[in-house]
Amino acid sequence: MRRLKWIVFICSIMLILSACSSGKDETIKIATVTTTESAIMGNMVKLMIEHYTDENVQMINNLGSSVVVHQAMLNGDANISATRYTGTDLTGALGQEAIKDPEEAMKKVQELFQKDYDQTFFDSYGFANTYAFMVSKETAKKYNLKKVSDLRKVADKMQAGVDTSWMNRPGDGYKAFVKEYGFDFNKVYPMQIGLVYDAVEAGKMDVVLGYTTDGRISSYDLVVLEDDLKFFPPYDCSPLATNELLKTHPEVKKILEKLVDKVSTEEMQKLNYESDNNLLEPAVVAQRFLEKHNYFDDKGGE
Amino acid sequence: MENMNTFQQFFYYFDENGSYVFMQFVQHFLISIYGVLIAAVVGIPTGILISKYGRLSTYVITIANIIQTIPGLAMLAILMLAIGLGQTTVVVAVFLYSLLPIIKNTYTGINNINKDLTDSGKGMGMTKLQVLYMIELPLSLSVIIAGIRIALVVAIGITAIGAFIGAGGLGDIIIRGTNATDGTAIILAGAIPTALMAVLVDLILSFIERKIDPVKKNRKLVEPKIESLEE
Repeated sequence: MRRLKWIVFICSIMLILSACSSGKDETIKIATVTTTESAIMGNMVKLMIEHYTDENVQMINNLGSSVVVHQAMLNGDANISATRYTGTDLTGALGQEAIKDPEEAMKKVQELFQKDYDQTFFDSYGFANTYAFMVSKETAKKYNLKKVSDLRKVADKMQAGVDTSWMNRPGDGYKAFVKEYGFDFNKVYPMQIGLVYDAVEAGKMDVVLGYTTDGRISSYDLVVLEDDLKFFPPYDCSPLATNELLKTHPEVKKILEKLVDKVSTEEMQKLNYESDNNLLEPAVVAQRFLEKHNYFDDKGGE
Repeated sequence: MENMNTFQQFFYYFDENGSYVFMQFVQHFLISIYGVLIAAVVGIPTGILISKYGRLSTYVITIANIIQTIPGLAMLAILMLAIGLGQTTVVVAVFLYSLLPIIKNTYTGINNINKDLTDSGKGMGMTKLQVLYMIELPLSLSVIIAGIRIALVVAIGITAIGAFIGAGGLGDIIIRGTNATDGTAIILAGAIPTALMAVLVDLILSFIERKIDPVKKNRKLVEPKIESLEE
C-alpha cells in the first residue's frame, strides 16, 4: 500500500519531468516582435529556409521587445531573430553609446555581437526603420521642403506631432534636436506613434515625426524630409543568428546572406502597407514577395 | 479597405489568407490535442488508482484543484521561466489544466458504479484486473470521455493565450488584430475559428462517447434496471 503510493508519485513526477526536458533540440527557431515588419521579415526568413532546405522551422511570434528577443536567444529558446536594428542594439543589448554613422554603427554592432555573445549580426536587409520628419505633399510643395533644415524658416508657424517617448529621450530626443538643428516648432504635441500619420494626412498637424518604414507613408503620399545633419542614429535592420546554429546548419548562413540588400525602405513601406491596410497576413505578404522574386535564386550568396 | 464594412472585410480576409488561417488552425488543434492526450495517459491510470486506494484521492485531487486555480496567463508565465518560450510550454500548460477534469471524472466514474455489479463479477471468479477491464472501465467510459471533452474545450482556450509566448495558433491572429489600427475583422477571423473548433471537438467527442459506451450503444438490449446507471 505505502509502496504503491510511492510508485504512483514517482511515476507521475517522472512523467511531468520527461515532458519538460524535450525543450532543447536542433530545430531552427525564429523570434519576432509584435510589429508587422518583424512578422513579415520573420516569415520571409522562414520561407527562404524552407525553400532551400528540408529543415523544420518554428516561429516564436509576438515577443514584447528586442530585449525579450535578446534574452530568448541567450536562453536558447530561439536561434535566429528576424529583425534587429543597429541603433536599438547598440544602446540596448550592447550597452554602448549611440553612433551616428550608419556604417560605423553596423561594424561596431557586428564586432561586439561576435565577441560578447557569439552571435552573427548580418548585413542589413537594405531598409532602415528610423525616426524621420514627414509632411504632407501639399505642405512640402508650399514651402519647398526637402531637408529638415528647410523647416527652419517656417518652423515658428508649424505644429508638430511627435512620439510620446521621443519627447524625453536622452541623446536623440526633442531637447537634443532643438540644440542640434537650432530651431523650435510653434507647438509640439506628444502623441501615440500610430496616430501621427493620420494627423498629418488630416491636416491637424503640419509636420510629424514617424517611422520611415510605416506603410501609411506611401498610402498617404507623405514626404519624408532628409535628416541632413544626421541627427537621428541609424536603425538599419538585419537578421541575427547564433554561431552555434550557423555551425550546425551552414546553409542557413548562405540563405540569410541572400537576403542582404534585397528589401529597400520603400519596399518595406509597401509590404507593411499590404499587411496593415489590406488585411493580408504577414506570412502571405512574405510569400508573395518571395514568389515575385523567385526566392532570390541565383542572386547573391556564394 | 475603408469602404468595406467589418463583415465584408472578414470575408475578404479569409479569401486572401485562407491557407494561413488553416495552418494556424491545425497548429492550434495539435497543441491542444497533444496536451490533453498526455494528460489522459497520466490522468486515467491515476484516476483508477485513487479510486482503488481511497486515501490517496484527497491528495491527488487537491493538487489538481490547486493547479486549476492558477490563472492561464500566470501559468504560462511561470512555465515560461522554467521551460522557455514556444509550443512545448503551452503543451505542458494544457497538460496541467487537463489533469483535474480527467482524473476527477475517472475517479467519480469508477466510484459510482453499482457495487452489486462488481460484486457479481468477483462472485463469478473474475480477477481484479478482469473486473477493471470488463466491468468498471466500460461502464465509466462515458464519464471519462465527458472529462476529456471538458479538458479539450479548456485546452483550446488556453492555447489561444499561448500566442503570447510565441506558440502560434489562432491566438496569433487575434493578437495581430488587437495591434492593427482597424482590426475588428482580423480579431473575428481568429476568434470565430477558435470557437468553432471548440464546438466541433465537443460534438465529435460526444459522438465517440455514444459509439463506445456499451450501455448507450445497446440501449434496447439492456434491462431497465441497468439503464439507471447512465448518470
